[in-house]
Amino acid sequence: MALISRIKRLVVEILSILHDFFWARFAKLGPQRLPPPQESSPRDVTARHKKMEEIRLPSLNRPGHAAHAKRCLSALPDSKTDLDASRLALAFYNIGILDLLDILNDGTTLPQWQRDGWIEWLWAQQTHGEDGSGFRPSPFMVHNPPGSETKYSNYDTPHIIMTYTALLALALLRDDFSRLDRPGLIKFLRACQREDGSFTTTPKDGESDLRTLYCAFAISAMLDDWSGIDVGHAKAFIASCRTYEGGYGQEPFCEALGGTTYTALASLYLAPPSPGSDPLTTAEKNQTVRWLVNNQASSGGFAGRTGKSADSCYCFWCGAALKILDMSHLIETKALASFLSECQFKFGGIAKCQDEHPDPYHTYLSIAALCMYPPSPLWEEEKPESWKFPVLDPLLNARVETAEWARRYISGK
Amino acid sequence: MSTEDQDKPLFSELPEWADVVPIPQYETDAPIAPILYSVEYKDATDYFRAIVKAGERSARVLQLTQELIRLNPAHYTAWQYRYETLLSLSSSLEAELKLTNSLTFKYLKTYQVWHHRRLLITHLRTPLPELPFLNRCLALDAKNYHTWSYRQWLLSHFIDDEDLWKGEIDFVENTIADDVRNNSAWHHRFFVVFGCGVREGEEDRARVIKRELIFTKQNISLAPNNPSAWNYLRGILDHNNLPYSLLTQFVKPYTVPLNPNAVDIVDLENPPPVKGAELPCVYAIEFLADINEKAGDKESLLKAVELWKSLANEHDTIRRKYWEHRVRDALQSPASA
Ligand SMILES: [Zn+2]
Repeated sequence: MALISRIKRLVVEILSILHDFFWARFAKLGPQRLPPPQESSPRDVTARHKKMEEIRLPSLNRPGHAAHAKRCLSALPDSKTDLDASRLALAFYNIGILDLLDILNDGTTLPQWQRDGWIEWLWAQQTHGEDGSGFRPSPFMVHNPPGSETKYSNYDTPHIIMTYTALLALALLRDDFSRLDRPGLIKFLRACQREDGSFTTTPKDGESDLRTLYCAFAISAMLDDWSGIDVGHAKAFIASCRTYEGGYGQEPFCEALGGTTYTALASLYLAPPSPGSDPLTTAEKNQTVRWLVNNQASSGGFAGRTGKSADSCYCFWCGAALKILDMSHLIETKALASFLSECQFKFGGIAKCQDEHPDPYHTYLSIAALCMYPPSPLWEEEKPESWKFPVLDPLLNARVETAEWARRYISGK
Repeated sequence: MSTEDQDKPLFSELPEWADVVPIPQYETDAPIAPILYSVEYKDATDYFRAIVKAGERSARVLQLTQELIRLNPAHYTAWQYRYETLLSLSSSLEAELKLTNSLTFKYLKTYQVWHHRRLLITHLRTPLPELPFLNRCLALDAKNYHTWSYRQWLLSHFIDDEDLWKGEIDFVENTIADDVRNNSAWHHRFFVVFGCGVREGEEDRARVIKRELIFTKQNISLAPNNPSAWNYLRGILDHNNLPYSLLTQFVKPYTVPLNPNAVDIVDLENPPPVKGAELPCVYAIEFLADINEKAGDKESLLKAVELWKSLANEHDTIRRKYWEHRVRDALQSPASA
C-alpha cells in the first residue's frame, strides 16, 4: 500500500513538473490571454448560491500546495523574469506557505542545509550605505560578493517592501537576527519617508503609497522602535486615502481597494496607541465593516472593489481587515473555504479564481485567509483534517509563532 | 521565442559595445527562487550592470535600457537609470513620452511604466494630451486601477488647469453610461464633484447636490441592484451631512416586489423601478433600515430590525451574520430601551 501511494505521489509530482513546463511556454503569450470575465453584481446571483448547510468541502490539497511552493523555491522558468526585482517577496510567500502548512519548523521535512542556504541568501541581500541599511529584492544589480566592504550606490539600494518580507522570511526560518543592522534600518526608514507622510520604495526613487507605508509600520513594530518614522504625519496620509465607500485607496483620491484597505488598517493598529483616541471613530468603523462585508460575493469569495468578481487574494486582504476590526465573526467561513477550494489547481497551488493558473502570492494569501477563517462545522467532509490550520497574526501577516519570534528577535529586546 | 527575438543580435555581438566589459550577476551558492534567465536577458543585464558601474550617460544607454525594459518591464532600476540619463543628455522628453505610450498600452498593469509617465509629465507640464491617451487605455481595460489612479493624480496635480478639468464631468457621465456597474467610474465622479475642490460653474453646492441625487436615483431606477450607485448615493448624503430620510419616498418602492400594474410616470425626484427590475432590492432594504434606525423611536427601530431580519433570512443570506450583528447592535443602543 505504501508503495502504491508513493508511486501515486511521484506521478503527481511528474505531472506537475510537466505542467509547469508547459505553463512556462504558454505564459510567453502574455499574462492577459483570457478576456476578462463578464462582471456582474455579486448579488444578482444570490438565488443561485449554495445553501450554507449544503456545502461539502473537497480536501485541501496540502501536499500539492507544498510541492508547488518547493518547486518555486528551487527555480523559476525565464517566463517569470518580471519577478527578478521582487524575488525576496516571492521567497517570503513560498517559505510562508510551508510554515502555514506546518512543515517548515517540524524538524523533519526540510533538511538543515536547505534552511541554512536560504538564510545565507536572505542575509546576502542586506546592504549598507549612506541612506541606512535594508534588503534588496535580489542580487539583480549586484556584482560583488556580500561582505566585501562596498557600500551600495544609487542603483542597488535597499527596497522597503523587500525589507519587510526579508525580516519575516528570516523569522519564518527562526534566525536569531544577530546580523541585523538595527540603527541602519531606522536610518533607512527615515530616508524613505516623504513630506506628505508616505514612503517611497527606495530612498532615491520609486512610487509611494499605502503599501510602502505599511511596510514601514510593520518594520517599526518588529523593531519595537518608532523613531525611524513620523507616525503622526504618516497617519494623516492614511486618512487622506480614505474614500466615501469606507475603504482606502492606494493613494489620495483613489478608489477603495481591498489590499490597500488592509494596509491602512493594519498600519493604524500596529502603531503605538495614542491615549484616549481609537484609530477610527465608531461611524468610520461601521462604514468600513459595511464595505468589507459587502465585498463577499455569494460564491463565498471576496472581491477587491465594489462590483468586481471574487479573487482569492482578497479573501485575505478583506478578511484580515475584518479580523483587525474584531469583526471576524461576521464571515461565513464555510462559503469562504468553498470558494478557495475551487481555486485550487489540479497539480498544486491556488489561483486567483477557478480555471486560472496558480502562483505563490495567491496560494499563500488563500491559506493565510483559511488560518483566520478555518471552515466550520466540518461534519461530512471527506478529509476534515486537511482544513485545520495554525492561528494567524493579521497585523504582521504570519502565523502567531512566527510573528512572536519576529517581534522578539528583531527588536533584540 | 518569437522570430523578432532571434533576429536581434546580443549586445555582446555588437561592435559598438565592444569597449564595455560585461559584469555578471553575483549569486550565492544556494539562491532562493533563482530565475532561469533567457540568454537575451542575461546579456542585457550584464551590460547594464557595467554601464551603471561606470556611470555612463549616453545615447546607447537609452538603447540598452529600452531593450532591458522590453525584457522585464518591472526592472525599476532600468527605468530609474533611463530617466536620469534622459535628463543628463537633455534628450527630448516629448519623444520619450511617445515611446512610453506604446509601453503603457503593453504593460498596463506594471507600476513602473506609470511611475515613469508621472515623472515625464511632472517635468513636461503638458497634462492636457494625457486625457485622450488615458481614454484609449480605458478602452482596453475600463477598470484598470493604474489608469484611474494616474488620471486622479493628473487632475489633482494640475488642480488649477481649467482646460484640463472642464470636460471631466461629461467624460465620467459617458463612462458610467457605457457600464453603469463600473465602480471606478462612480468613484471618479465622486472625486470630480466632491473630492478635489470646487470648479468654476459648480459653486452653487445646493444645485450640485440636487443634480447628483437626481443622476444617481435615475441610474438606480434603471438598474436597481447596482451597489456602486447605492454607495454613491450614501456618499453624497454623508459628505454633505444630509439625513438618509430625505430619500424615504424614493427608496420604498424598491424594498417590495415589483408592482406589475404600476403606470409609467415621469418623476425626477422619485423615479420608480424600471419594468422587469429584480425586486426587492437588498440595497434599498438596507437603506430603509438605516433610515428607521436613525429615527430614534422604538417603533422605527423595530421596523429596522424586521428589515434586517428579512435580509438575513431571505434576501442576502451570505451576509446573515452581518445583518444579525446589526440587529444586536441596534437593540443594545439606548433608543431600544
Ligand atoms: Zn488576486
